[in-house]
Parts: sequence; structure tokens; C-alpha cells
Amino acid sequence: MPQVRRWVAAAVLAVGSSCPALAEEAPSFEKDVRPILRAYCLDCHGGEATKGKLDLRLKRFAEAGGTSGPALTAGDADGSYLLARIQDGEMPPGEKKVPAEQVAVIERWIAAGAPTLRPEPESLPPGLPITEEDRAHWAYQPLKKPTPPAVEGDGVRSPIDAFLAARLREKGLEFSPDADRRALIRRASFDLTGLPPTWEEVEAFVADPREDAYERLIDRLLASPRYGERWGRHWLDVAGYADSDGDNPNDTPRPYAYKYRDYVIRSFNDDRPLDRFIVEQLAGDELVDRKDGLSPEEVETLAATGFLRMVADGTTSGGDVPLASNQVVADTIKVVGSAFYGLTIACAQCHDHRYDPIPQEDYYRLRAVFEPALDPSHWRQPRGRLVSLYTDADRAKATAVDAEAAVLQKAVAEKTDRFIAEALTAELNKHPEPMRAPLREAFAAPADKRTDEQKALVANNPSLNITPGVLYQYNDKAAEELKKDNAAVAAKRAEKPVEDFVAVLDEAPGVRPETRVFHRGDHRQPTKPVTPGDLTIASPEGERYEVADAPADAPTTGRRLAFARRLTDGRHPLVARALANRFWMHHFGRGIVETPGDFGNLGVKPTHPELLDWLACTLVESGWSLKAFHRAVMTSTAYRQASLRDSRRDEVDPDAALLSRFPVRRLDAESLRDAVLAVAGPLDVTPFGPAVEVVEDGVGLINAMGDAPRRSVYLQVRRSRPISFLTTFDAPVMAVNCERRADATSAPQALMLMNGDFVLKHAEALAARVVAASPGDAPEALDARVAASWRAAYLRPPTPEESGMAREFVADRRAALERDPDAKDRDRAALADLCQQLFNSNEFLYVD
Amino acid sequence: MSTDPRYATRRSFLADTAFGVGAVALAHLLHEEKLLADPSKVMPDNHPLTLEPRAPHFAPRANAMISLFMHGGPSHVDLFDPKPELTRKHGTDYEGEVGFSFVNRASKKLFGSPWKFKKHGESGADVSELLPEIATCADDLCIIRSMHTGHNGHEVSIRFFHGGIPAQTGRPTLGSWLVYGLGSESRELPAYMVLSDPGGPPVDGPLNWSSGFMAPLYQGTVLRPDEPRILNLDAPPRLKGAAQGRNLAFLDRLNRAHLERHPGEADLESRIRSFELAARMQTAAKEALDVSQEPKHVREMYGLDDDATRDYGTRCLIARRLVERGVRFVQIFLGGQPWDTHGGIKTALPAICRRTDKPSAALVKDLKQRGLLDTTLVHWGGEIGRLPVVEGALDDGAGRDHNGQGFTIWMAGGGVKPGMTFGATDEVGHRAVEDVVTPNDFQATVLNLFGLDHEKLAYQAGGRSQRLIDGRAARVVKELLHTS
Repeated sequence: MPQVRRWVAAAVLAVGSSCPALAEEAPSFEKDVRPILRAYCLDCHGGEATKGKLDLRLKRFAEAGGTSGPALTAGDADGSYLLARIQDGEMPPGEKKVPAEQVAVIERWIAAGAPTLRPEPESLPPGLPITEEDRAHWAYQPLKKPTPPAVEGDGVRSPIDAFLAARLREKGLEFSPDADRRALIRRASFDLTGLPPTWEEVEAFVADPREDAYERLIDRLLASPRYGERWGRHWLDVAGYADSDGDNPNDTPRPYAYKYRDYVIRSFNDDRPLDRFIVEQLAGDELVDRKDGLSPEEVETLAATGFLRMVADGTTSGGDVPLASNQVVADTIKVVGSAFYGLTIACAQCHDHRYDPIPQEDYYRLRAVFEPALDPSHWRQPRGRLVSLYTDADRAKATAVDAEAAVLQKAVAEKTDRFIAEALTAELNKHPEPMRAPLREAFAAPADKRTDEQKALVANNPSLNITPGVLYQYNDKAAEELKKDNAAVAAKRAEKPVEDFVAVLDEAPGVRPETRVFHRGDHRQPTKPVTPGDLTIASPEGERYEVADAPADAPTTGRRLAFARRLTDGRHPLVARALANRFWMHHFGRGIVETPGDFGNLGVKPTHPELLDWLACTLVESGWSLKAFHRAVMTSTAYRQASLRDSRRDEVDPDAALLSRFPVRRLDAESLRDAVLAVAGPLDVTPFGPAVEVVEDGVGLINAMGDAPRRSVYLQVRRSRPISFLTTFDAPVMAVNCERRADATSAPQALMLMNGDFVLKHAEALAARVVAASPGDAPEALDARVAASWRAAYLRPPTPEESGMAREFVADRRAALERDPDAKDRDRAALADLCQQLFNSNEFLYVD
Repeated sequence: MSTDPRYATRRSFLADTAFGVGAVALAHLLHEEKLLADPSKVMPDNHPLTLEPRAPHFAPRANAMISLFMHGGPSHVDLFDPKPELTRKHGTDYEGEVGFSFVNRASKKLFGSPWKFKKHGESGADVSELLPEIATCADDLCIIRSMHTGHNGHEVSIRFFHGGIPAQTGRPTLGSWLVYGLGSESRELPAYMVLSDPGGPPVDGPLNWSSGFMAPLYQGTVLRPDEPRILNLDAPPRLKGAAQGRNLAFLDRLNRAHLERHPGEADLESRIRSFELAARMQTAAKEALDVSQEPKHVREMYGLDDDATRDYGTRCLIARRLVERGVRFVQIFLGGQPWDTHGGIKTALPAICRRTDKPSAALVKDLKQRGLLDTTLVHWGGEIGRLPVVEGALDDGAGRDHNGQGFTIWMAGGGVKPGMTFGATDEVGHRAVEDVVTPNDFQATVLNLFGLDHEKLAYQAGGRSQRLIDGRAARVVKELLHTS
């Protein structure tokens, strides 16, 4: 069937399933019954096994039946053994039964004559075939750019608006009016940079008379180095970024993981085309020739493969290494699946996916793409995957230094021996002359060659056992001299250039492991071998993408590179949709598909499927430019509208899924921490470099070492030591990766804000700055301080009412502190209380 | 709260019923996340994201659980599963197959228990001399000798016990499922609390009380091993008392003025309540954790007067106080792996028994004397047991390696049959051979005791319906249920 017609058919099916009139029609095998059998029966009857010789993959097979006779008699529900067994609860065995409403569907279907939508084939190859119904699912349709609907009206600025407005009008709604400029600049700044605008930036934007002031704002924010730190962090969630291995019990730090983080941030800042970004992360090692040294760009490209090295690696914990290494492979495949497919492919690890057309074999074909690099049969632990960044010059220098140090070391050793010999002679001289020779011989003899007599002599004369460590007890001066000499050797060694590394995923040359399907996902039960390739469902029927291996003498199998190029060829039905949906989700708080990790049958259907396709196609057409995507989204009316609710919108679009208003959102963990630092003053915007270590304080809170005011993205992500402030506000603790963050409101968050050091300390810092700018006891000074605090936290001046309320509060706090003889710097302390409440208030915590 | 009826959404309706006028405690729940569950964030079939008490599927026997997690693998053949045949064959080579974890010290020499067993109580339960106090509770215990994970590793098995699938992480733990299924009885304490050990976290750390793919509302709240047991609970000295009250009042004014400009925005209302809640909790949690309120004889019963038992006893006593105040699920962990007796078992095993025996027994007795044992399920057990063969040589360094093939746990109260010993391992205690119970069977049984059907209790996440046991084979072990 031509693709276009199939797409239309899918649309009709989708409508059909939500339309009550059509639902009363007789169920069909393909649409209604087979999915039930697939979930409950086909494992044993036609899939992995054919128990009782009964195969239920086709209606005709069911009619033919098995050893117990025919299972199905069309038109005769009571006489159909299949139904009887299910109704009796005998099938399926075990405690998992077919729900009553689904049993009823089967019953209605049989009673209606057990219709099929089309003639069934005579026979089927083994396994669960992918059916026409499977192929009709929206997510697998070829990408085709839809034409935006023709929607007239003020609110429609762009094709994005046209798609959204058409839906809104169906529901009798319109976009909300544009938000005011203060709201817009705060919204856009947090969105693109994860930081609030400064007061000066707000004032400039509000006063900007130019027509394109808003577009200029977006361009300015996209050009900010802070942009990559914000959007890179989104990607790091999907990649499951962590600075530690998650092994037990050490949770060994990954000292070089930050190079992947920096690569990601740079890529976003440079608007590196996403196709290249994907290829480098999946196969950067295959793009770099390492024989002739590494340029800085090549090091970056190698660091990109850190994407495939982010999951926990417990293979150094001891214990069951095959189990642990297979877990690393499985977790890595999960990351790849959620990042690029938006499918729960892990379900196919143990059996054919019960709900989506992903045969178990497809899962292992995917595994075969990665197995040469992640090979449990030749497992390489994390430290075995580091590539040295020593240059030839570094290496030559290191060798020279080693040689010089060895000369010095030898001299020291000889001197040490001499000193010990002298000390021994002096010590022996304390013994009677006849004993000296036997004693000397006894100590000189190797321990295992000593006679019994010699052993006794050694045991009875411990003072003659002179080693370098105790030499100082015999000859202090000599020991001091040796200490200096040893220090000189160490100093010489320190001249060696520091050896830096990059953590890389690559293949060991010449190793081409065979990938086999694991029975029930158990690595101890390999069954049939498979070859590498993409999911069957990701290509039109009969055109499954197979990865061809590079020639046997090539340095790598080339599998990942070929696979990555396939993902980014612009025609893959899942990749651009998954990415576009994810980016949309970060802008609006929810994706067009609300389940960014599941585009399958159990995922939530897209609210605007055509818009999603338009965005995906536009992303590819733009040369995979994410910044172009941001511009398109952020200049739309949908993005610019105000966030206010009203009763009509609450009724029709209560959760803003249709975007009849902009949703109000809490700052995420990193934005909250970074915003407090920025407003209080000490934010350190130094980019890149090794992770800021985290430490546990006296009461068990985990924080950046020295309370370093760096941006949160640069703080160490130690799996065993998640940063308390960030995790309290829903930063993920990386088990594998994070597809979508929780957005919780909890008492521990309130306690963290009320009593935690972080906010208190920075409220004091803000207060100190504000008091210093307006010192004195005059009422004007207090007014000025209140106004300055408001501008800092809320980016607006206080209303007269707020001003009065705040003045009263500060005066009251000041008076209370006056009664406290121990209070220090009472002006600042009183104002700090005000600043803390501003930080903790909803106007600061939420973005309109 | 919004006073304009035009903005009365379903969510604010829920808010009014939960915190309605005259509600004594505004501080309703610890994790008030999305009390007013945003419908966009709830999958169709999930319970609403609240901790409102919810009816079970059928009449429950238990309403609270205390799990004494004996992490590391208690040596069942030295504690609850006497093996005369093992003693008889001591020093000879085991003829069956053994899977070792520490091959460098592996041996096939059978190692008879160095300790004596006696029968206790009317039920005649076998308990080793290492656990004299638990032995006195024999008639309240339901001892399962046929536990089987099939995996010898700690992580594999502990994840099996907590999350339902061997080795897999990212799943909600048993406590999460109970709290998800039943909500919270307490209006001011977290429903799921974990008491951590001064010796550090157990293997896998926070994964042991993770809510996995469930909302964080259902994850365990960890009490620290020392004061302060809840972080940030106390105001800093400068803000203690009236000062913080005034701060919060001012914050409330700011927030309410802001809410007036954002009428009907439920998230903002929840946030306002979260501060009220936090303030209440400062009092309630402090009171619950203060064991100095207990009379001397109770403190002594738990061993608070003895250095060896003080820490574990304090935590057992806190567990009882929490359950008394309506906490649903309390789990006590040990630091490191004190039961992981690879070597020097002759000194290591008595030491960890000494630390935990008296407090564990006190907990059972104390719950019983308060009439709480009937509805409180106590669980004692690790994730694996230990091998009948020696690790190392048969000398003072002798130890036992991991064994997930057969081991013992016990339960008490909460509707399990008292004075029962169930299942059996083979003649030397290596493999469970009779009435085998897997962690999935254990989980199905625990849920059943709480009136929950493990097949029905489902959570929509990752695009599918997820259950604790996730469709794996499991049975409610009916033999363990008290019939009277």
C-alpha cells in the first residue's frame, strides 16, 4: 500500500478507537483479539513455544487447534474451547489472568463469526510477525511534513501556532494574550540559560522600542555561553550522566567523565548539528585515527563516546562479573532506546515485546551493534577504557625524567646501604669480639636459608636488624641526609608531565564477538546468533536495516558508525520525532507525546501528531539545528502567551495540554540553586573542567566542596552522594537515566528552604550587599533596601502595599534582634530574614 | 486558598476535603506532593498522587510492617536450621554442586555448625544458642527455612527482595508498593521510613528505599543514624521559636498575594501548604523520635543501657514508636554487611547476634504487650544465607560463602501463623527442597497480609502497567497465614 494511504488508514483507525459508535461494531481478530492473545497467550502458543501443538497467531490456526482439538468455532462462543479455558481461569496458567472486559471482547468476536479484516496466510515463519495493524501505529509512519492548517486570526504567528490554534478553535478556545515583557524575559532566560535575567537586562528589554525586541532577546540568550550549560543538562539527564561508576562499595569516581559533559555543553553552545552530535556520541572512536597523535578536536570526538559509558558499571565490585557486565550492556541499550527511539525496547530483552512490534531478536540485533565495544566475553573495566593524552613529546620527556630519577635513586640506595653497614658495624662492636662474625653472617644470610642457630641469633638480637626505616635510631644525621636525597628524587619525578586521559568507548581490534539471543534474557542461556541492525519496525516492510560489517582486517567492525548514520539519515521515523518531542517538553513542561520514553501502544498518544511531524521534519530540514528549533518555538504565540487561568480554560484545557495558556512551572533543581547564587551575588560562571567534588557535612547534607558557587552542572554527580539540595528538588539520582523529571511539592523541600544552610547563607549575602548599598537608619534607607531586595529577587519594584508590609516586617525583626544581646549586625540580619522569605516564595520559585 | 467559586476545580475540591475548615492538623502528610494531583501527571489507572488512606482489595490482617533487614546473609545453618547430617559429615567433602562467589578461598569441605541448637517454646522451634532472646519469642515466630533467590550475590538478591526482580534497579521497593496501595495512616509523619545505621548505608544505598518509577511521594524517608535524624528539621538557633513563626507568617502573606494574581493555580496552593506541613512536622517528628520519653524498663528491654545493643535497640524502639503513630512501613538496615561472614565466623557471627538479638526480641514482645503485634508484621531476614561448606580452612579463620539457594527468614505478627516452622533445606542446608519460597512469594504473601492482591496492585509507568512482581511466577503462601 502506498505510504500516504496507509497513513490515512492509520488516522481512520485512531478515530475509530475513540468513537463510541464504531466501538460497538464486531471486533476483528487483527485489531482487537490478537493484541489480547499476544499479551496473555502467544508466549506458549505460537511465540516462543507451541504447547499442546496449539498456535494462536492466526485465526485459522486457532480453528485448526492442537492436541485438545479445535480451539475456536466461529459463531459459537459456548463451543469454543479457547474461550472456555480462559473463562475457567485455567488459562493462562499462573496468577496473571485475562481481565473480564477483554474476555468479553473475545466472546463477542467469536459470537460475531470470528471475523478477520483480511484473508490470512496459509502459514507463518516462526515467531511473532509484525502485522499491518502494528505498522499502522502513528510513531512508525514515514516522516512527511504536513501542511499547517489555514487558520486566520491575530494569534497565529507561525505554522506552530496554526496547528495549535486549529485544535483550540475546535474546542472553542483561543490563545491567551501575550505575557508582559517582564514575564517574557524571565521565562525565556530561565528556559534558555537556567538563570534569571539581571535587573538591567529586564529594564533594557522593557524599554526596547524596536519591533523585533523579543527576537533580539532570544538571539542574545541563544548566544550566551550559559545556554549550553542549561540545555546540555537536559541531555545529560537522558544520557544518565554520572561522575562515578556506581560499583560497590567504593562508587569509584570517574575523574574524566567531565570531558563528556564539556563536550555536550560545547556542542549545544556551538549548535553542533544534531546528526553529527548523535554520530559522534555513538561512534566518535570510529571517526578518529589515533595512530598519529590526537588533536584537541579529536580528543573531543573521543570524549563524545562517553555517552555510551555513562551507566553504572559494577564490574569492579567483585562477585558475578558476567552478570554485572551484561547489566552494563542492557542499561546502555536502554539509554540508546530512550534517547533516540522513544520506545521501551528493554521489554524485548526477555521475550517478544508484549505490546509493541519489537521481537526479541530485534533487541539482540541492537545489542550486536554495541557488543564489539561492550563485550562481556572480553570485558574491559572502566580504567581499561582510558586513552592517554600523552603526546610523543610528553612521553619522551617522561622517559628522560624517569632515567634521571633512576640514577639519583640508585645513588640514594647505595648511600643507604653504606649507612646501614656502618651502623651495623658500630652496633656489632658492642658485642664480644668472637660473636661478631657469627652475628654478621646470621643477619646477612637470607631468611629462608638461616640455620636454626642463626635463626636464634636473629631472634635474640633485634637491635641488629637495621632497616632504612629505623636507621634514624642509630644515626640521626645519616637519616636526615637520606630524607633530603629521597625528596630530591621525588622532585625529579614530579617533573614528568601530568598524564591526562579521556574515557572512551571503543572496540578492541580483532575482537568480533558473536551476539546471540538470550533465552528469557538470561546471559547464561544463549540461543540463536543474530546479526546487527536497526529495529524491524523502523523500516518499511521488507526493508529492514542491516548493518554490514567492515572487512575483517579493518580496525573496527564499523557497526556503530553505520548504525548512527542510519539513525541520522533524516528518514528514520523515530529519531527526529523523539528528539523534537523532548525539546518541546523542555520548553512547555510536557511533550506533545506525554510519555517521552514511550511512543508505543502503551504510551500516551500525541496531542498534536501533525505538529510533532512538522517539528521533526523542520528539525531535519534545518540541518538538525537546535537553535533554529528554539527560535521557531519561542517566537510563536503559543510560547509568548500569558499563564493566567480562567474558568473556561480550566474546564476545557485544565492542564494546558492544548496550550490555551502558558503553564506555570517550578524552577528545576539546578535553576533554583543557580538562581539563588546569581541573585545573592557569588555565582561563579567559570565554565568546564573537572567536577567540583562533593562532601558530606557534619549533619549529613551533601554539598559542593567548600560550598563552591559554581553552576550546578559542574558539581560532581556521585551516585552514592547525591547533592542534598538538588535531589530534594527532584534532580535525578541516576539509576540508569532520567527520561522525565518529577516535579514534586513536599515538606522536605519546605524544610530545606526554611532551615537549610544554603538559602540562609545566600539570603545573608544578598542582605549584606543591599545594606552596604543603602546604609543608615533613615526611613529612606530602609525603603531603598526593601526596593533593592524586590528588584533582586522579583525583578520588579515593590508595590506601595508590599513596601509597607516589608518595612513593617523588617522593623519588627530588627526590634526583636535589639532585645537579643548576642545578635550581630542587626540591620543585615533583619533584612536577611526578608530576603530568605523572598527566595522561598512562589514568585521566586515559579516561572510564569 | 482560592475563595472565588469560579476557580473551584476538582483539585481545589480535594484540597478542601483534605484540609477542610476545622481540620485539626493542617499538617496532613509529610510528602504532600501534588496532594491536588495534577491530572496531567497521573496515568489513567494510578491511584491519585496523595497519601490519603485507601481501602485494600480485601480485609487486611496487617496494617503496618517493620522489616529488620539483616543485610549480608545470616548463616541459617548456625541460627535457625540445625543440620545433624552436616555436623556428622564435618570435614568431609561435599558431593553436590556448589556455586562460589569467592573462588580464591573456596572449599568443598563441609563445616558443621560450631553452635548448639535447642527446641524452644511449645512450638519446639529450633533456635541456636547465638540467639537466646529471639528464642524466647519462639511461639510468636513464623520461621521460613526454604527461602530461595537462586542467586548468590548480595545486590542481585537484595534487589529481588526489595524491587521484585533479581538484579534490576530503578524499581519501587516493597514499602513504596504498600504506601502506594494503602496510603498513610499518619497525618504528620512520612508513611515509609528507613532507619539507617551509623556504620554506613547498606549495599546499593538509596536504591533500597527508592520509589523507582513511582512518584517520589512513595519513596522511603531516611532517618539518619544519629541526631539530627531528620535533616533541616530544626530551625537554626537564630530562627528558633517566634522568629521562624514570624518569617513563615510573612512568607504566607507574600504567597497569598501572589496566589491572588494566579487564581486557581493548584501547585502554588500546594506549596503554601507544604510550609504549613513542615512547621507541624517539626513538632510531631521530634516527639516521635524522642526515646527518652520511654520509661526506664522499656529502654532496658531494648538494650539501651548496653553499649553493644544501644544503637540497634534505639532504632527498634523508634520503629515501634513510629508504627504506633501510624507509620505504614519501617525498615531498619545495618551498615556494611555484618552478616557477611566470609571469614572468622566464630567471632563475627556471635558479635552481630549480640548486637541485634535482644533488640529484635524486645520489639516482638513490646508490640505484643501493647496489642500491636496482631496488626504489625515484623520481618527478620537477609537477602541470602550461607553455604554449608567452609570458606578458607577449618580453623579460626573459617567462614561461609554466599548462598542464595536456601536460607531462613522469620516473620511475626501481622496475621502470620505463630509458632510455625515452614519449609526445609536439604540435609546439609544448601538448597531449599521443600515448600520453596522465593522473594516474589514472600512479597505476594506480605501484600496479601495487607489485604492487597499483588496481581491487581498496579502502577502505570514507562508506558505500561507495572506490578511489584511484574508477572513473574509467585504465590501467596497460604500455609503461613494465621487461620483463627
